Parts: sequence; structure tokens; C-alpha cells
Amino acid sequence: MTAPVLQVKDLKTQFFTDDGVVKAVDGVSFDLHPGETLGIVGESGCGKSVTALSILRLVQEPGRITQGQIIFKGSDIVTMPDDDVRDIRGKDIAMIFQDPLSSLNPVLQVGFQIEEAMEAHQKIPGKIALSRAVQLLKQVRIPAAETRVRDYPHQFSGGMRQRAMIAMGLANKPSILIADEPTTALDVTVQAQILELLRDLNEETRTAIILITHNMGVVAGLCKRVLVMYAGRIVEQGPVDQIFKDPQHPYTWSLLQSIPRLDADRKDRLLSIEGLPPDLIKPPPGCRFHPRCRFRIERCFHDDPALMDVGPDQDAACWVTMRRALATDGEAHA
Amino acid sequence: MATAPGVATPDEYVGATIVREQTNLWADAWRRLKRNRLALVSTILLCGLVLVALVSLFWTPYPIWRQGVASTYQTPNSHFLLGADAAGRDIVSRLMVGAQISLEVGVGTQIVVALIGITIGLIAGYFRGWLDGIFSTLINIFYGIPDLLVALLLVLLLGRGLDKIIFAIAATRWMDMARLVRGQTLALREREFVEAARASGTRPNKILSRHILPNALGPIIVQATFGIPQAILFEAFLSFLGLGVQPPTPSWGAMAADGFHALRIAPHIVLAPAIALSLTLMAFNFLGDGLRDALDPRQKR
Amino acid sequence: MLSRRALIYIGERLVLIAFTVVAVSSIVFVGVHQLPGNAFLSDRRIDAAAQAALLHHYHLDIPLFDQYRLFVSGIFRGDLGESLVNRGIPITPLLLREASVSLEVGATALLFTIGLGMVLGVIAAIRQNTWIDYLATTASVIGYSIPNFVTASVLVLVFAVYLYNWTGGTIYYEVGWDGTYGKLGQIFIPAFALGFPYASIVARLTRASMLEVLKQDYVRTARAKGLTDRIVIIRHALRNALIPVVTILGPLTIGIITGSVVIENIFGIPGLGKEFVNSILSRDYNIVIGVFTFYAAAIGVANLLVDLLYTAIDPRIRY
Repeated sequence: MTAPVLQVKDLKTQFFTDDGVVKAVDGVSFDLHPGETLGIVGESGCGKSVTALSILRLVQEPGRITQGQIIFKGSDIVTMPDDDVRDIRGKDIAMIFQDPLSSLNPVLQVGFQIEEAMEAHQKIPGKIALSRAVQLLKQVRIPAAETRVRDYPHQFSGGMRQRAMIAMGLANKPSILIADEPTTALDVTVQAQILELLRDLNEETRTAIILITHNMGVVAGLCKRVLVMYAGRIVEQGPVDQIFKDPQHPYTWSLLQSIPRLDADRKDRLLSIEGLPPDLIKPPPGCRFHPRCRFRIERCFHDDPALMDVGPDQDAACWVTMRRALATDGEAHA
Repeated sequence: MATAPGVATPDEYVGATIVREQTNLWADAWRRLKRNRLALVSTILLCGLVLVALVSLFWTPYPIWRQGVASTYQTPNSHFLLGADAAGRDIVSRLMVGAQISLEVGVGTQIVVALIGITIGLIAGYFRGWLDGIFSTLINIFYGIPDLLVALLLVLLLGRGLDKIIFAIAATRWMDMARLVRGQTLALREREFVEAARASGTRPNKILSRHILPNALGPIIVQATFGIPQAILFEAFLSFLGLGVQPPTPSWGAMAADGFHALRIAPHIVLAPAIALSLTLMAFNFLGDGLRDALDPRQKR
Repeated sequence: MLSRRALIYIGERLVLIAFTVVAVSSIVFVGVHQLPGNAFLSDRRIDAAAQAALLHHYHLDIPLFDQYRLFVSGIFRGDLGESLVNRGIPITPLLLREASVSLEVGATALLFTIGLGMVLGVIAAIRQNTWIDYLATTASVIGYSIPNFVTASVLVLVFAVYLYNWTGGTIYYEVGWDGTYGKLGQIFIPAFALGFPYASIVARLTRASMLEVLKQDYVRTARAKGLTDRIVIIRHALRNALIPVVTILGPLTIGIITGSVVIENIFGIPGLGKEFVNSILSRDYNIVIGVFTFYAAAIGVANLLVDLLYTAIDPRIRY
């Protein structure tokens, strides 16, 4: 096993608001290996985006990283001086965001924004920057790249904008690309194209990809490993195939169950996860998922489970686990 | 290990969610306004101003018309707290009456502006079509002309006098209110309660007066609160140029103009009304700010 | 550089401006001619015959409609007639000269307004919720609450009087205006007094706009690319924050025109504002009409320039 390119250790990021301290990320740890595709999945507000932003120290007031380490190339990003972090951003670790229309500056040409990403980290003459930008646009399969490079974001379609964002992210050949919900704002066919593009790029360039999404289907389309997050914690992690086949945490199981299936019986009810999203200022005692869990036991109400080994390379934070829940509880189907 | 699988219900666990009490817009706004210290101080100041103006209707330390009560250009002393002007008139007394004038102009213009602006705004916004076209064009034309110039022209045409000034100022600033009310009306007429009223056959004038106007009241009040200092400033400009109130009426602007030639030797003649003006305008602007923030439904608290 | 479409658009706007100018001056023309008496009645040195001759000279003895026709054709020729009070002086060159003086002061005030206002606004936005921000916000309300003649008076006092007293007579700052375009250094106090209230408004607006922009996704993207804070603010945030500021440039120009009427009178600056007040006091109606015509044209052109500025800043807007 090669050494991990990124190690996140017990990361805690909190928001100090007037209503209280929001524990958005509450003890997250994981490793990322070179060229790996890792998915982080969970519902809105579970902390997945904040985790990603924390990696590059992009969290703004009133939020702060309060604990933990993010080890990259031997140094801890959390304690690094600002200039060093800025050096890493866009060069070693790049991040692209959800809505490419609002994430690209509307008054600057797309080509310029890509060149800018390069010029921020190296002295590069204008002509070369331009040709490299065109090259990148071609790499992300944007037709007529030479003319497109001078266009403005509003002149691109949604899918092409996202490709341009990806091109911007890859401009400096980073070791890690973090994609925060890159397909959420796009329609389904375009989604598939973007995922395919990311897959190919990962194979060609060996850039590790962290894909953040709330959509399990998207994870299946791209990632080899997945982290499932809930209420600021990782509740399950492991290889994607395994998790999809054999989810051990009730939350993961519910997520997978709630995907509408084309081959399901029309009479079957659509399963949804009952209850409300958890309060991150005062989280529920015990296991954070217990108020919404159909398989909870007495212990879940006051003991907070840590991640435990539940299979080869698979961990889940649950006292019950689906294995036991499905065995004892006869009616496991919707 | 006892198993007790069950379905979790939302009300079993409430957590630390803060349940907000139901309040209406006005109570909310009042609460927010009270917390704004600048607005609070401003309100106190303005109440004081109103008090002074009321008192001056019956009494001032010295008669304001009488010249030579003090020696000319008298600097402030124990008898004449703010000194006297070029004609030996007591400045404190004149300042007090000036407060009257400023308030008259400020409130007077806003009343006229409200009458014209709200009416036009409601009609244009509700009925739309060619009526709106005419009114909007009118509004745009008026916006393209410097208000001071028109006001000066009106003064030329109508002559001097406080009521004519009020009219002149209102005639050049009604568009702000009209445009605001028109915008509010356009938005409000699409709301469900208006549709319901329309569907049940309510006549337009009742819809306007019972549904639309009350809901637009918040921004209207804020606009009027900002309109008052605008009008007071305007009158000060006019009087400073010598084209405002009839001399020797002690409008603050006129007082500043009178004392300007002696600025270097007796600055108090200019500074007294100047500071009074500035403080009054500031107070209204801070209050307006406070009201606007308090009535803004988008505020998070 | 200018496309055909752009030229057509500018052409259309210029026609619109011409329309507005004619409309405004017509209204003023009609309004002024409603006034009882005329400029000459008050001049008692003139006897009836001389008065009749004067009326004839100024075409005041022909029917109003014919007067109006002459007037409008005059506008298109650029001829605004003759001053009623100072006979023989053609109005157009007079006003042109004075307009250039007003432009000198007004443009300086505008530059100062925008420059200082934006700098303060940006600083307040970057340091949001700190004492700097709170101070700047409060100061800006104070700024636009103080009438410009008050600012002018205070400045005059400080520079002409107190500076002299405090330095024991070594520094003497001459406040006033020499000649048509003033001496070097005389423009600062009037321009400051004129622009100060608007600088406050621009500061407020820039701050609010900046705060909005800094929350935008593309600013987050810029930071994620590793750009320095300075570049993020100047290259990414500022240009977008400018858009609302450009919006108020139109009303701002009108405000400066309004303010210049008072300021020019205080400092004795021979500009359009001073001329306007004089003409009203001396009932020189031809000049009154002429000044309105000039201002209408100036505002029309200013609005056109503002709209063109929009397209330069925001590539999404193309007419």
C-alpha cells in the first residue's frame, strides 16, 4: 500500500454563531491515496462540504478549524502559515464547486480565469499561458477551444461551464482535485458526461479525486471508496462495491433504500428517512442517528458509537449494524 | 441486548431547536428598533426638537424680530447663549423658531408627497397599462431634471413664502414616493390575498385601501422618514441662496446665509444654524436607517 | 472598436437627448413667458419708445407661437439668443464658458467622490463588523447629512482662519476663486465640499455591494485557486461591486449639479450654477431658459456615458 497523499486526522470545524456553536465537522479522519477516487456522501448539512473547504482552509468567519490535523506532503495544513496554504491551493490541491454559473466570475473571460490559475503559481508568459489554457479546454472536451477561450461564462452551456471549471482545476496538475457537488446543478445526461470525463481524467493523469455529493448514484459512477457522513461525523466508510452490496450503518442502508428503482413493484411505497435533520448545535445524545433509526436499541440512546470494523476494509459507527438488524428483524423491506 | 425496533417520530426528539414565538411585523420591528442605539438617540433628539419648536410658538428668550437686542455680532455669553447676529438679534430665539420652520417644511412636504406619490403609485401599479405608461414616463421625465433648478424656477413663478416652498419641494420630489409605491403595488397585487379579494368581487378602491396600502405602509414610512431631511436640506439650500423664505424669517438656511459674510470674524452666526441643521438631518437619517432595518423582513433576527 | 450596433445605439440615444432638451426648454420657455411683466418694466430709465424698440429687438412683441418657433430653430442652430439684462451679449458662448468652469469643479468633485467613497467602502467591507466598519458606516451617514455649505463654511474657517492663527501667520491659504478657472490649489475646497456628501453615499453603497460580492461563489473559487487576497479583492470582487455604483452615477451627477449651485455662489466661481441664480434674481429669462437647456443636455449626455460605462464593466450587458 503506497503512502497516503493526504491524511485527515480528527478534524473539527465549528461555526461560532449568535445561536450557538455549530459543530459542522466533529471528528473526521480519513486517508487519501495517490490516484484514488474517494466519495464523500451525505444529506445537506452533514458537513461534507465544510470538510472539503477545511482541507484548503477556505472556511470563513464565523467558522474555524478548531482541532485536528490535515497532513499533506509532510506538513500540517491546519497550522501552516497563510502563504504556504495559498501556495497549495490551486496547485497541489485544487477545488471545483457546485454551480459553475455562479462559481465563475461573470465579468472575466473563461480563458483568463484559467490562465489566472496558472499565473498565480508560476511565472509564465502570456502566449504560453493562453496555449496551455486552450490545451486544457481540449482536454476537457470542449469543442472549438481556440475561440471559446475568449468567451464569457454566460456564453457557455451548463455542462461546458463545469468542464471549464474542471480545466481550471487541473491547470497546475494538482495531486488532488476536490469536486464539491460538480453535477448537482446539471441535468442527468450531462451529469453522466461529466462523471465520465472525471473518470477518464483520473485514469490519464492519476490525479486523486475527492467527490462530494448527496447522490449515491453519482458515487457509484466514479468512486472506488466512499465515506458516508452524518451530523458532522463519518458513520460508514469502505469500498464502494462493498458498501452498496452490504451497507452496515442504518443510515447508509436507508440512503440506498430510498433510491427509487425502475424495477420496483409499483405498489411498494417509496422509502424515506423519517425525522428531521439533526441539530448541530446540540446534537442528540448517544448515537446521533438514533432519533431517526428504525433499528435502534436501548444502548443507542446514550452511547455514542465510534467507527468499528464491520468487514474487510469497511467500518461503521453502529451498535447494531444491518447484519444483526436484518437477521433479527423479519420485515426489512419497505 | 434487547431489541426494540420502532419508528422514530419527529416529536419524540425535539433537541435544542429554538421555537420562535409568533409575532407580527410591527411588534418585531419595534423590538429591533429599540435595540438600535443610534436610532434611539436620534428619536430623543427629534422629540426635543419638536418640543423646542412647540415652545417657540409661545415663547422665546428674546423677540426674534427685534433688532439691536444685543450688540451686533455679539459672541456667545451668559445673556445670549449663542450670541447675536449682524443685526443684533438673539440667535437662540431665532434658532428655536427656525426649528418650527424646518419641521413645517419637512413634514409638510412629506404630506403632500405622500398624497401625490401614493395615489399615483397605487394607480400606476395596480391598473398598469396605458395609465402606468403615462405615469412612469412622467416619473422618468421628472427624474431627469435637477430638482433645485425646478424648485428655483417655481419660486420664481409662484413667489416666496413657506407654503409655496413646500409645494415647490414636493413637486420635485414626489417621484421617489410614487416609484416606491408603484413597485410595492406591482408586487403586492400578485399575492394570494389580493387575488382572493379580486375573485370575490371587491372593488378596486377597496382592494387598494384595505389590502395593498396597509402592506406597503412599512416602506412608505421609511421613505417619508428619509424624505423629511431631504426636504429640510432643500429648503436650507433655497434660503441660503436667498430664494427661500421671506426675510427676516429665521429659517436655518437663511440665518447661515445672513452670517456668511462675517464667517471669519463671527463664525458663531453661521455655525449655530449649521450645527442645528446637521444634527437634525443626522437624527432623521439615523432614524430612517433604524426603521428600514427594523422593518426589513430579511433580517435574520 | 465600436461595432455598427453600438454606433446606432449611440445615435438613437443622441436623438433622444435632443428631444428631451427641446422638451425641457420648451416647458421652461412657456413657463417663463407666463410671468407678468417683463425684464424691462423694472428698468425705469427706459421710456415707452425705447421699450417698444427693445421688445421688438428681442422678438417679444410677436405672438407667442412665433416666438416659440424662433426659439426652437435657434436651439438647433446652437443659438440661445441674447441676454436680456446685458444687452448684446450672446448667451450660447457665455454659457459654454461657464459650463466648462462648472465642469472643472464638478468633475473634480465627482472623481474625489468616487475615489474616496470607494476606498472607504472597500475598507469597511473587508473589515466588516470591526470598529473600522462601524465607524465608517456612522461617519457616512453623518457625511451625507451635513449640508454642503456647512462643510464649505467649516473648511473656510479651518483653512483661511484657524490655520493662519495656529501657525502664527506662516501659512495663509487663499480661499476664493481667481479668474475664470481659478488658481491652482483653489479648486480643492469647493470640490471637496461639493463631493463630500456624495462620497459618503458612494462609500455606503460600495460597502454594501462589496459585502454582497464577497459572499459570491466566484470569490470563493478565486481564493481556492490560490490567489492573494489583494488580487481577489481588486480583480474579482471590485469589478462586480462597481456595478451598483455605476447605477447611481446618473443621480449622482444630478446631485452634483444641484450642489454646484450653492457652492459656486459661496466661492464666487463663475459657473452655470452661479449664473442661474443671478439670472433668476435679475429676471434675465433668456438666460434662465438657456441654463435649463444646457443642464438638460448635460444630464442626457451623462446618462448616456453611464450606460456605455455599464457595457464596459459588465460583458453580460450589450444593447
